[in-house]
Order: sequence, then structure tokens, then C-alpha cells
Amino acid sequence: MHKFEYASPTTKEQAVALLGKSWGETEALAGGTDLLSLLKDYLVTPKRVVNLKGIKELSSVLTPRDGSARIGALASIEAVRDLGRGFAALSQAAAGITSPQIRNMGTVGGDLCQRPRCWYFRSGFGLLAKDESGNALVPNGDNRYHAILGNDGEAKFVNPSSLAPAFIALNAKIKIFGPAGEREVEAAKFFVTPKSASEREYALQPNEIVTMIHVPSTLGVRSATYEVRQREVLDWPLAAASVALTLDASKKVKTARIVLGHVAPVPWVAEEAAQSLIGKTISEDAAAEAGRLAVANAHALSRNAYKIQLASVAVKRAILQAVS
Amino acid sequence: MSFLAKYIGQKVKRTEDPRLIQGIGHYVDDIKLADTLHVVILRSPYAHARINAINTDAAKRVPGVVAVYTGADVAGKVGNVPCAMAHPELKVPAFGVLAQTKVFFVGHPVAAVVAQNKYQARDAADLIDVDYEPLDVVSDGEKAAQPDSPVIHEEFGTNIALVHNAGVGDIDAAFAQADKIVTQRLVHQRLAPISIEPRGVLAQYFPGEHQLNLWSSTQIPHLMRTQVSLMLGMPENRVRVVTPEVGGGFGCKLNVYAEEALLGWIAMQLHKPVKWIEGRRENFQATIHGRGQTGTVQVAVKNDGTLLGLKYDVIADIGAYHQLLTPAIPTLTGLMLSGCYKIPAISMKCTEVFTNKMSTDAYRGAGRPEATYLVERLMDCVARELNMDPVELRRKNFPQPDEFPFTTACGVIYDSGDYEKALSKALTIADYQKLRDEQKAARAAGRVMGIGVSTYVEICAMGPSAAMPAGGWESATIRVEPTGKVTVLTGVSPHGQGEETAFAQIVGDMLGIDMNDVLVVHGDTAVVQYGIGTFGSRGLAVGGAALVCATEKVVKKAKKLAAHLLGADEASLTFEDGKFVGAPDDKSLTIQEVALAAHTAASLPEDFEPGLTATHFFEPKNFTFPSGTHICVVEIDRETGELEIKRYIAVDDCGNQINPLIVAGQVHGGIAQGLAQALFEEVVYDENGQLLTGELMDYAVPKAHQLPRYELDHTVTPTPVNPLGAKGVGEAGTIGSTPAVANAVIDALAPFGVKHVDLPLRPEKLWRMMHN
Repeated sequence: MHKFEYASPTTKEQAVALLGKSWGETEALAGGTDLLSLLKDYLVTPKRVVNLKGIKELSSVLTPRDGSARIGALASIEAVRDLGRGFAALSQAAAGITSPQIRNMGTVGGDLCQRPRCWYFRSGFGLLAKDESGNALVPNGDNRYHAILGNDGEAKFVNPSSLAPAFIALNAKIKIFGPAGEREVEAAKFFVTPKSASEREYALQPNEIVTMIHVPSTLGVRSATYEVRQREVLDWPLAAASVALTLDASKKVKTARIVLGHVAPVPWVAEEAAQSLIGKTISEDAAAEAGRLAVANAHALSRNAYKIQLASVAVKRAILQAVS
Repeated sequence: MSFLAKYIGQKVKRTEDPRLIQGIGHYVDDIKLADTLHVVILRSPYAHARINAINTDAAKRVPGVVAVYTGADVAGKVGNVPCAMAHPELKVPAFGVLAQTKVFFVGHPVAAVVAQNKYQARDAADLIDVDYEPLDVVSDGEKAAQPDSPVIHEEFGTNIALVHNAGVGDIDAAFAQADKIVTQRLVHQRLAPISIEPRGVLAQYFPGEHQLNLWSSTQIPHLMRTQVSLMLGMPENRVRVVTPEVGGGFGCKLNVYAEEALLGWIAMQLHKPVKWIEGRRENFQATIHGRGQTGTVQVAVKNDGTLLGLKYDVIADIGAYHQLLTPAIPTLTGLMLSGCYKIPAISMKCTEVFTNKMSTDAYRGAGRPEATYLVERLMDCVARELNMDPVELRRKNFPQPDEFPFTTACGVIYDSGDYEKALSKALTIADYQKLRDEQKAARAAGRVMGIGVSTYVEICAMGPSAAMPAGGWESATIRVEPTGKVTVLTGVSPHGQGEETAFAQIVGDMLGIDMNDVLVVHGDTAVVQYGIGTFGSRGLAVGGAALVCATEKVVKKAKKLAAHLLGADEASLTFEDGKFVGAPDDKSLTIQEVALAAHTAASLPEDFEPGLTATHFFEPKNFTFPSGTHICVVEIDRETGELEIKRYIAVDDCGNQINPLIVAGQVHGGIAQGLAQALFEEVVYDENGQLLTGELMDYAVPKAHQLPRYELDHTVTPTPVNPLGAKGVGEAGTIGSTPAVANAVIDALAPFGVKHVDLPLRPEKLWRMMHN
């Protein structure tokens, strides 16, 4: 690990002032479950690490009676797991995150901003996984965990966030603080596919931080997250789906959001699959059809066709789970 | 000798656990000595390369760094990592504690950095500039054996370290008489033992006394002392090895690694304590792996299911070097190829080959899981071929209880056994016929359900000295202190097996005292007489037997003194419940009273040595052969290939049980590891010899919630080999479970025409089998 300066601000204003203007100069530290291994493996080599944990106002979780939630970026993943029934998609996604230790150390903001698990990236070949001569390593390499959707560009990694699909399904907004003050983006627009290895996978400026996630009222929303993993243990799911539905009086679907996780460089909103449910009563067949549509445009790399099947099954089962 | 069984056979809670559960036990890293320096080992990132140059200048300039050592510094000064197997044809490459001119596997130690703290050492290690010239890599065991393969150790001209043949009987005649010959290729994947506590060494040297102290997380403190003293040229009696708590061994700490001698040598150079604690990634790269056999099994059988012969032609991929027992492990497979069946002729040809990988060596079961897996898998293949129920085929070939001691065509003599009894019990618990009916119904409904049976026998209580490279006996000393408290010094080195409890139970009952008055001391070569250690399910069956004999000696001695003090004839006294009774006027003496008298020595019989202590070295006449039946019921998700273990039944027979709670704990842990081999775990190197499963993110160890609820029971067939009648149970679960799970999964996939799937049985593989 290279030497770095360590700053521990107590306000968000101080924090953003301490963050550098370009990526790589500084890194923000929250739970540290990802940053520490990135530092040890020299994947990031900041001159300064800015610890956000001293900013107490970012840790709160508020769930007013209107069924909404305001989740501070520093709230633990375990706190999200405890949110309960109205936020089923979120708490189920949180429950899937490996160990109790990680759930207690890891933060919600950290889950959204963690770097991809792509093993080429983790071995120092960059976000776009290229060797010294610029050859792409994923297409002919070991790509069994790589993207099946949104993989026609150079980025083949999958977004590693477990909570993001649930937040997007629940129409959450992400509050961001920077030198110019506060701004808000839809969770769905927070994630971007980088075009170069020097970009990041999210819509933050280098000197901005996530402060809060606002989940609008979930009253009447039926939601669920279903993950499929290789039953390996400290890993990320192979595919996951978060679903949020509202039903009318006759139990027909009024609105639907379906978001896939771990299948594309960004959480993948399956618009057509969600539309297919509108006006229908949820059944095994309707759910399976949505599952098929969700992966209709999927494109397998040489070794990850299995993930297409899993993503489809995850969508089907998340839908059934949401209404069960 | 008669005693009240107040503790023996009872579910006594382990006395070790309170300190471990509270986190107040002491492991190597918890031992802090003033002025300790910390060592980080720089390891090769290449599987095979020539070292053209090493520049350590930048590393030496890092603040806090005290020294940096490379192969040149230790050449000729520290001996090679030892291999205990002596075989005239075995090729033994020189395995220096730091690489000399070449590196042979990813993780090969190249340099050692010593600094005031481990962070400085780690940062400095990253600044060492090694000029590597990559060489051709041999990563596949089967290809390594081919004549056109690049050769790893040029001095041998071949990658074949040893060809080992085993088995007796007329194998050609057996195959000539067969109605059917069933052939199957099987892969026993490499596994990483993954002890929660990785390895660790603390070394301290006193130049004035010329005394070296080593704290090491090991299973074999005495054997380590001998080997390290030889490696360092130190007199053995000036090296002390202390083994504090050990957070899991599973065979991977039944070894002498480069680091023990290297740390000892560094402490002797710097005259300061030095500590090295292995990281998890290092643990994957540089701690031994287990299994790693690829071979073809052939079974000759009559149409009625009578087994005639078994042939096993196997390549054992042993890695780049021999660790302590590396070449011996595959030979254990050869001892157990008869399983629990009568097979008149057996033949094994095992080719052990060098590859550019970490060495294989003993991992829980060590050679026997391979034998059991292949025999039990083949039993199912044969049953399928003959259209017989797999249970009936097994039953038909069991030796009967009156046929023991039973000599197999592998040349070993099974001590005792009643295989039918455990099988029937397991089938009753499982309600086997009902399960088969449920399976029919499930299949009709489109569900994928399977039932797997494995009837296993293992070779334990290692062992008679004639069959062991460095002695197979064990030692125990019992001291009744003046206050009547009892100290036991045992030569075994328990590290989770619960012998502090079990041995106290034995002594408590034999001396008729409170078991809490018994302290069991182990793992310090300056305190305990020479011992062999804990491995091969020998702690109780060999170490406990030594303790029984020592305790008998102490009682005999106490009796002599009691008779003297009571004015009684020794022959008229009996020792009951802690007291010598039968003297005139109903006078009696407790063992504590006798102990005090033995130490005050005011009145002793003629020729009676003061004190009340005895030592016994126990040499077993044979191995023991624990056995049992495991039954596994699985269901596979058709859409994802995910698998659920619906039921798991284990009926084990480890002979007499001293503490059924500890036995159950050993079975639980054993099944977890065996099942992990079946479903999750696999060490994978790519064609460049890079370790792809180098951390727990990529190497899947099961979590508690992924394991089924175990339905356990047992039968008791005591062994005549030792006075306890106990056979050992440390490895039973690992050996019985892997084939039970594999057989269940392959049974589930039978409707898809699947006859065999290699382990681990990952969901993707199963899904492909169902959708091909």
C-alpha cells in the first residue's frame, strides 16, 4: 500500500473540500470493505483518503408513516435489512449480502459505489479489462461472471451493487452533495457505463459524495428481490432481480418495475418485461413470460450463457415472491 | 482394573470451549514478546521461472526495515524442507527455504523482509525487484506424465516422482472370469484445507544459552523440533517447540514448512524475536493442498453382483516439491481400495507427478477419501449396470462379522466390523423404501430427487510404527501431585479434538477423582516427553491408550504404597472409586492420601521410589478400521441447477465412545468438509499455473446455513487393538460423506441419462446435465 494522507472530516462541507477534483487523487472511505482491498492491491493509489464516518448526519434511517424512507449513505446494510415488510425488495437484497460482518461494516452508499468484482479489473487490467497491448481480455477469457446485457461496448463487467436494483425498482432518488451544494438524481440514472478506464461507473463528480437515498412511499407496493448464486459463500449473486408492483382492486397489475442486477455494467431496467405485466393477474405463466422478455436481448459471451437462464428465472421468481 | 464409569461414555461438555468461545485462548499471534520483529515473505507470482537477479536495495531503505534475506543468504546455512518418506526410487528435489535459481510454483518463497512492524515489512516486500525469466509451465498432472512434457526438475529428466504399485490377488484371472467390467474415469479435485487460523511462527533465540524457542501452529511439535534442529544444525535439546491453541489443522499443520526453520534462523541472526503470521492468500498459495488424483477405475463383477476384482490406474498431481508426507498420501489410497467389501484381487498403479503447483499432502482423510469415493462411486455404477439396488449390491459383498480380522487384497487386516448393522440402522432411520417410493412420485411430477448411499471403512489410529515414517506409537505421563491433583502430559497435540476433556474423563474414572482435578498438558517439547502428534484419527486411539497404560502403572504403584501404609497384603486390596479398600479394620486410603504419602516419603516400602508418576509409550499392534453408512437425499432445482440436501443420515461406528458429544462434533465437522468437496470446493490453477482460487471469494467454503440438519446415530464395534476399544472418528465424516452426496446427485440425474459427474457438483454443471 502506498502512503496517503488520512483526513477525517465531521461535516459534508469539509469532506467535499478535502476530495480531489479528478479521479484517483483521493478516495472516500465509508465501511472500507471494498476500499481497503483496492488499496492493498494497488488498484487505487490515492494521495489522500477521506474518512466519511465522522459525518454523523449521514447515518440516520428515517421511515415516516407515509411509507417512504430516507436512508443515510452511511447507514449500515444491516440497518436496511431491518427495514421490514414495506421495503421487501430492499431488505431481501440486503439479506443476500454475504456475511453479518460485511452487513454491519458495509454502508448503503458504499454498496452503491463499490467497484466491480470483475477479476481482470481486480488483477490490475483496468475497468475495460485490456492487456498491455490494448487487447480486450474478457471476450476470449474467463467471462462466466461477466455481462449478458449491455455488453456490446467495451465494458463487460457487471455492476456489483445488491441494493441498486431494489432502489431503482422502488423509484428511489439519490441525494448527492458537492462543492456546489446538493443535487438529486434518480437511482436509475446514478449508474453509467464507462467509456474509458479512467471513468467511474457512477454519476458522481470526484469531489461529490452520496448523502442520502430517498425511497418514495411504498404504501400499496409489493416488492421482492430474488437472487441466484452458485451457493458459493462470500460471493456476489450470478443474477438477481428486484421487482416492485402495484395492483388494482381486481388484483391486476397497475404499475410494474423490474430491475436486474449483476447482469450488465449498470443495474438493468427491464422495461418491456415490466410492461408485459400491466393489466394482468400475476400467474406462473405471466411471470415466466416477463422473465423471458427480460433476457430477450441478452447476448451471451463465450462462457456465461447460464446467466441468461438464471436472470430469467430470477425475474420470474421475484414477481411470484412479490405477490405471495 | 475396574472403575465406575462416571465420565466415560457421557456427553461431557468440552473443557476447552469456554476459553475459546470467549476469545481468551492464546494462538501464536496472541503471544507478544518485547522487541518482536515481523517477517513478510515475498512469494513468486510465476509458476515456473528463472531468477536472474534480485534487487533488495529499495526495500532495505524503507523505514523500520531491519533486514532482507534472499536465497543466497540461506544457501548452505539452512537445510531443505524435509520429506519423511524414504523410498529407493522416490525422486526428491532439494526444497530450500528460499528459492535459489528458479521458482517452481506461485507462492514459492523468494525473500523474507524483517521490519519493526508487519506493515513496513509488507510495503518493503513490494519494493523488492526480482528479474524473473518465465519458463514453460506444467500445470496438468496427466500432461506432466507424458514424455513430451517440459520437465520441471531438470536433474531427474522426468516429471514422474514415483510409480507406486499396490494390491494382491490374481487380477488378470479376476477380470477374465468377469461377466461384466465396469469402467469409470474419476477426478478427485484439489482442495485447500482452510484452517480458520492460518499458519504462524514466532521464534526467539537466546545466544548466551544457545537456546531456540519456536511457537508454531502445528499438529506435531516434537517431530517439528527434530526436523527444525536438523535443518538449522542445532542440537535437538536446545530447540523448544511450543504449540499454543491451534485454530484448525485438518492435516495441513501435520508438516514442517520452510517458514519454521527460516524464522528460527532469522531469530538467530538478529538476536530478536521474529514473528510471521500467514495471510489468507498466502495460505491458499503456500500451505499444502489435499487430494488431486485423476484416474480410471475398473471393476470386474459377476452378473449376480459378486465382486471379483478392482483396478485403479491413477495420476497423483503432487505439485512442485515434497512436503513432509506428500508422496506417501496416495499410497494410503492403495490400502483402502477394498472398501468394506470382499474383493479377491486388487491392483493399483499410482504415478506421482511433479507439476508447477503447491504440494499436496495430508488433508482430513488423506488418501482414504479418494479410495472411499472411488469404491463407493463404482458400487453405484456397477449397481446401475446390473440393474440392482445399490444397497443390495453392497450388502452382498460385505464380509460378515465372524470373518474379522479380515485380510483384504490391499494387504491390510481389518480389526473388527459389522457393516450390515450400521447399514440397516441407517436404512431404518431414512425409511429407505419409502424414500424410493417418494422418488418415483417426485419423478412422475417432474421433480429431480436422488438418494445416495455410501458404506465406508477407513484406516485410522496411525499406526503401527512399522507402517509409519517416524514412529507410530504414542506417549503419556501421569503425575499425581502432592495435593492429589493430576497432571497428564500427552505426546499427542490436540487442536480442536477435545482431548483435554476426553483424557480428563478417562483419568477421572480410572482414578475415581473429579475430572476437573485433571490437567492435560500438551504441545510443549520442553515439558512433555517425546510424542508423535495428532493426525490420522490417532489422538484417542493411540494417545488415549498410552494414557490408560500409564494410569494403570500409577495405580499399581499407589497400591503398593497403600498396602504398606495400611499394613495390608497388596493382593487383598482393591482400588474402587478412588480408594484402596480391603484392608484390615475397614481402613482405607484415597489416591490423594497415597499421593501425599508418596511425596512426603516418611514411610515407604523397601525399594519404592518417592513420587507418584508413571510414563507409558504405547505401540499399537494394528491400525483400526472405523466404518459406517451415510445416506443423503437431494433435490435439484430444474430451472437453476441449485441443489438442496433434504436429509442427511450418518450412522458411524468408531468403536467405544468416550464422549459422544465430541464424537458428534467430529462427525458434524467431517461431513461439512466432505460435503464441501462434493458441492463447493476446488483449487483451480490455470494453464499458466496461476492460482485462480486464491481467496475465499473464489474458493467456496460452506457456511453453516448451507449445511443440512444431520440425523446421527451409531453402532459400537470395539477394536481389540487398544485397551479403550476406541477406533478414532476425526476423519470419518469427511470420508463417508463425499460419495453419499455424489451418489445422491447422480441418482437424481439418472432420468437424464447421467452416469457420472465429477466434483464439485456446482449448479451450472447440474443444469447443463438436465438441459443437454
